[in-house]
Amino acid sequence: MRPALEELAPRIRTALATAGVEYAEVRISEGSMTEITLSGEQVDSLSTGDFAGGSVRVRSGGGWGFASFNSIGDIESFIRRAAAIVLPSVGGAAPGIRRTPAISDRVAIQSRIPFTDVPLDAKYELIAGYNAILRGSASIQTTRATYRDVAARSLFINTDGSELYYDRSYCGIALAAIARDGSNIQTAGESVSGYGGYEIAQQRESIAERAVKTAVDLLGAERVGGGTYDVITDQKLSGVFIHEAFGHLSEADFIHENPRMREIMTLGTRFGVPELNVIDDGTVPSLSGYVPYDDEGVPSRKTHLIRDGILAGRLHSRETAAAMDEELTGNARAISPMAQPIVRMTNTYIDNGPAETGELFDAVGNGIYACDVIGGQTNLEMFTFSAGHGYEIKNGKRGKMLRDIVLSGNVFTTLNAIAMIANDRAMFGGLGGCGKQGQGPLPVSFGGPHMLMKNILIGGVQR
Amino acid sequence: MIEAIDKRLRGACRWYDCLCTQSESTVVSFRDNRLHAVRESQNSGCGLRVNIDNRVGFSFTNDASTPDGLVDRARATAPYGDIDDYDLPGRATLPATEPYRPSIDSFSVEREIDAARALIAELRGRFPDLSVDLTASRATGTRRLANSTGFDASYRHSSYGISIHANYVFDSGARLLVWEGTSELGPVDYRHLLDRLITKLDNAMTVRTAPSGKLPVLASPRAFASLLGILKSGLSAKAVYKGVSPFQNKLGERVFHEAFSLRDNPLAEDSPAGYPFDDEGTAAADKIIIDRGVIAGFVSDLKHAARLGHAPTGNASRGYASLPVPSFSAVNVPGGVTASVGLIEGMDRGVLVEQFIGLGQSNTLTGDFSANLDLAYLVEGGRIVGRVKDCMISDNLFSLLAAPFELSRDIERVGSATLPFAFFPAVNYTAN
Repeated sequence: MRPALEELAPRIRTALATAGVEYAEVRISEGSMTEITLSGEQVDSLSTGDFAGGSVRVRSGGGWGFASFNSIGDIESFIRRAAAIVLPSVGGAAPGIRRTPAISDRVAIQSRIPFTDVPLDAKYELIAGYNAILRGSASIQTTRATYRDVAARSLFINTDGSELYYDRSYCGIALAAIARDGSNIQTAGESVSGYGGYEIAQQRESIAERAVKTAVDLLGAERVGGGTYDVITDQKLSGVFIHEAFGHLSEADFIHENPRMREIMTLGTRFGVPELNVIDDGTVPSLSGYVPYDDEGVPSRKTHLIRDGILAGRLHSRETAAAMDEELTGNARAISPMAQPIVRMTNTYIDNGPAETGELFDAVGNGIYACDVIGGQTNLEMFTFSAGHGYEIKNGKRGKMLRDIVLSGNVFTTLNAIAMIANDRAMFGGLGGCGKQGQGPLPVSFGGPHMLMKNILIGGVQR
Repeated sequence: MIEAIDKRLRGACRWYDCLCTQSESTVVSFRDNRLHAVRESQNSGCGLRVNIDNRVGFSFTNDASTPDGLVDRARATAPYGDIDDYDLPGRATLPATEPYRPSIDSFSVEREIDAARALIAELRGRFPDLSVDLTASRATGTRRLANSTGFDASYRHSSYGISIHANYVFDSGARLLVWEGTSELGPVDYRHLLDRLITKLDNAMTVRTAPSGKLPVLASPRAFASLLGILKSGLSAKAVYKGVSPFQNKLGERVFHEAFSLRDNPLAEDSPAGYPFDDEGTAAADKIIIDRGVIAGFVSDLKHAARLGHAPTGNASRGYASLPVPSFSAVNVPGGVTASVGLIEGMDRGVLVEQFIGLGQSNTLTGDFSANLDLAYLVEGGRIVGRVKDCMISDNLFSLLAAPFELSRDIERVGSATLPFAFFPAVNYTAN
């Protein structure tokens, strides 16, 4: 049987004390999960499982020696192994890391209904009920309804004396309806997730109802033509926009060792219109990107990335904060205890602006109202973000439904193309997440208010 | 683990199968031109699928000391599972393929560090402001599959991977990111990637523009591989069974241009995507999926083959923590007549695409795509004249593959696939 985390802690402390290293940290996690995915009349998968894993990371020669494993009972041997990975020095002063005073803490997610107390048949009935709603139209070809819960206990110990226990429960659902009319196949769906209990997955019938309606409506939507448009984004698409357009560029591991990037990203540089405020905040327990402590044992915080259009901050790990001589922000995150922490976003959003939502429609005249999200991607300069659906706007009025709206932008122009920011910010999470350097999907949330952007490039048919 | 499971389940279910995997890997990674981390990892686990009264339950663990818990959980989920009225493969003669090379043991962290430093120095000799990320990795492991029908086999696998990202930031903040990589069964000399990176960088240093319209597009093998991802999802028996494949009811029909054939071959020599049997124990086989434009088959696992009334193709794929799904192995598309150089020379004005941003975030079930061009070159008068950026191509892949188009004679290995360049005469191109 696996040893409990409390039994491992003194063994880890002893092994680290004798490892003879400058700095090291150990992360261990164990837990269990349930996942049910229904598809049309099928049960795509229904599984329960348990898992354990961990890693040892040792600072060496200005880099890291890293050993990951799932035989957590053999922790001493992995600490020895990681300590034995000696990176050849490059000469000169090796880059350091920002250290913190010792922190001892125990954090536990509060659940109203612990999902570990809910029998499997109740979970099955819940998701089957949503799936039945998703199948509620003759035009629906198939569905995808997923329920997932993960309960994990984690331990973080480092050679600076920090010892953190984290009892985490994460739960969510993802619901999608796929409608078909001949060769026309359209999908719509939504997902919710968060830290807490079974209550997160309950009473979500309205999501399923919206998914069916949108998927069926999309069968009659028109493909958007290629060109540049004035676009109003809804709150969810505003969130994905800022995640792709600027969030990733705020991750200091893309900046800290590139002199030209450091110059371009000098704090105080104007990056957008004066109404633009962009924030990353890992301290909000109700959101998918909640991180009480990051995976380097650093407390999370609220960080202004853009304040009044001016570059105000960025997201850091211990390594990047030291290299740039800036404060730690608690943004070093790993997809699992077996992966290396890298700089990641948490809950990232555009803050409310001064406008009423209706004023955006009055101001746009003709354009596109782009709603909901399929996804987004960036190369840190150019980026795309895809709307789930949209509408033509004519003379400020919402018109016919449009589909296949993939928007594209450039960080150096698009943030200045924001013409109006409304005051109706909302946040969104879900069972999906963010991918970076092979680590994904990492739970994050994103959001913003409605926004009006001018001359946005949208791909499509050339008429 | 498997022996303990067999003791519990033999005679107590219609069937079961258990997949146990273990792997070890070493990764040397350079970030921003310098050695950043050396990582060693160990990972193992078992997944148990059990059919009780024709319903399938599943559970997994990576704690080998608790087979009873695994069996109990899998049994407890079975009443909720799908009805699966098929049998598992028994003992059989299996292909001798093993995606493993003993040379993987020659992987040396020190040598990889030296080789990476040499390559980065040479690249930066040409482009002093270049920032290079490079990873060199080795992995080895075994997969063992056993079932209640008498199948019990295992194989070793090995892989050696190189991935190089070269990042050039211009004074304007514009960013040029080019990448190359290779995936092999054992260590190889990867210096040829240096020449490719230099060519890509040289070609992309000048930015050119082209007005929106319909343009000829030549997709490099890497870009073509990305596009084929859209097609492959529709050729899965699972998508066909669910009715979300546009190729449902098209078996035997000509759907694409006759220039286009596609095979799936898990027995391909030297491919890290190879295997002797799939993750349900079906023997691996080379098979044609698209035969000169005709849909000749779908890749399937046991469940979806049974539901469609087809023979399983040996394409079930899973990790230990999930149920199998149909998946492609090593895909190959035969080439055409003209060399890629000739296709470029034949273009009066067009675009050569290497890398996309956001491909696949469209309604890909219907073949639609719309993507930003992360790395693409403008071709004028038969030669590459610079990079195009802040632009998109959008079209329907299935329509492009159905209309006359050309494949290059020369073929390249891209990940697990071997592919030619693909030339499409008219694609929607939108620029700012």
